[in-house]
Amino acid sequence: MKDFVQKGTKIICIGRNYAKHAAELGNQVPSEPFYFIKPTTCYVENGGDIIYHKITKNLHHELELGVVVGRKMSRVPKEDVMAHVAGYCISNDVTCRDLQEKCKSERKPWSISKCLDTHCAVGPFIPASELSHNNIEMVLKVNGEVRQSTNTKNMLFDVPTLLEYVNRHITLLPGDLVQTGTPEGVGPMHVGDIVTLSIPGVSEASFKIIDDC
Amino acid sequence: QSTGSSGINAEYGDFVRAGSKIVCVGRNYAKHAKELGNALPTKPLLFTKPTTCYVTNGGKVKYPTITNDLHYEVELGVVIGKRASQVPIEEIMNHVAGYAISVDITCRDIQEDCKKERSPWTMAKCLDTFCPVGEFIPSERIDPLNTEVLLKVNNELKQHGNTKDMIFSVPTLIEYINRHITLLPGDLVLTGTPEGVGPLQRGDEIYAAIPGVTEATFTVE
Repeated sequence: MKDFVQKGTKIICIGRNYAKHAAELGNQVPSEPFYFIKPTTCYVENGGDIIYHKITKNLHHELELGVVVGRKMSRVPKEDVMAHVAGYCISNDVTCRDLQEKCKSERKPWSISKCLDTHCAVGPFIPASELSHNNIEMVLKVNGEVRQSTNTKNMLFDVPTLLEYVNRHITLLPGDLVQTGTPEGVGPMHVGDIVTLSIPGVSEASFKIIDDC
Repeated sequence: QSTGSSGINAEYGDFVRAGSKIVCVGRNYAKHAKELGNALPTKPLLFTKPTTCYVTNGGKVKYPTITNDLHYEVELGVVIGKRASQVPIEEIMNHVAGYAISVDITCRDIQEDCKKERSPWTMAKCLDTFCPVGEFIPSERIDPLNTEVLLKVNNELKQHGNTKDMIFSVPTLIEYINRHITLLPGDLVLTGTPEGVGPLQRGDEIYAAIPGVTEATFTVE
C-alpha cells in the first residue's frame, strides 16, 4: 500500500489519545476514543508545502502515528484488526487552533479547523512488519528544534483498540489512514518554517510552511 | 478518465464511486435553524461525510445501536464535475456537473451530546449508510435557485422546501468551500435541509424527491 495517498478514501483522526496532550489543551481524558475525519484533499507528501491558509492566525503542528489500512474492515473484532493493517506512516495533523477554539465555543463541527487543503502531511509508507505499534519513537522538529517527542506506548487507547472502535460503525477501506493522536508539545508553525517528522532510524519527512496566495 | 469539451470529467455520473468526499452545509434554511433552536449563521457551517456513507436508490439505512433518535434531513446535493480550487463565484457553476436528491441521516441525540461536549460531529453524521442519494441529474435540468425538495416517511409528507429559501445560495456555498478545500470531480456538496426534520424508526420507508425530476426510496433497518 505504498500509494495509500492516492488509493485511500478518507483519513480518520483520533483526538486526545495521550494524557499530557489532553491536559495541555485543558481537556478531560476521554472514556472512549473520539475521532473526526479529514478528506483526502488534505494530503501533502514528503517534500511538499503546508499552506498557512489566510483564515487562520494560529496554525499548529500535531505529530501522529498513521496506520494504513490494507484490507476492508467492517465490524472486525479486536483480535483480528491488526491482520487488516498494511503499515504505518509518520504524520502531522495540521490544525488551525484559533478556528478550532471558535468551533468549540460555538458548538460547531471542527471541519473548518482540520480539513483544509495540505493539512495532513505524511511521510512514506512503512510496511507493518517493520514496526511494533505499541513501541514506536516519534519526533517532530521545527527548524531543527525538537517540539514533540514520544513513544506510542504512551497512547491511552492502543492501535487495535482504536481500529476496532472505529470499524464498528464506519467501514475502513484499503488505503484509508487512521491517525492515532498527538502527544504534548503542540504549538505554532509560521510561514517559512521547515517541519520534520521522524521515526528515528526508520522514516523521516519534511515540509515547508508557505503563504496562502 | 474522459473529459467533455467543457473540461468536465465524465465520471461525475457515477459520483458515488468516483467522488472523494461529501461536504455538508448546516443551518442553511432559516426555519430549520429555528426549529432546532439555532442562531442563523453569518457564514456557511461546514462538516464532511466520508464516501462510506453512501446508499443508492433502493438501499437500506442502518439504524445504529448507539442512538435512540435517528433523523432524516432532505437536501439538494450538488455533484462536482470539474476540479475547483479558489475559483471565483462568477465561474463556479461551470464546475458543477449536476445534482442528486440526498438525505443527511443524523443521530440527533448524539449530535446534541457533541454540541454540549464541544466535540466533532463524527458519530452523529458519518456512520455507514448515512448519505442516501438518488440518481445523478445533469445540471441543465435543475435551477439551483428555485428547486423543490421533499421527503415522506411511510407516505406521509414530512419536509417540503424550496432552494430559494436558502440563506446561502448554491453558488455562494461552492465558492466558499473551494477557497480552502479543493473539490474534485464526483465530490458531492449537500446544501442544507428545510424545516420538518424528525425521527425515523426501524422499518420505515423514506421517499425523497425533486417533484417531476427525480425520486428515490430507502428503507430503515
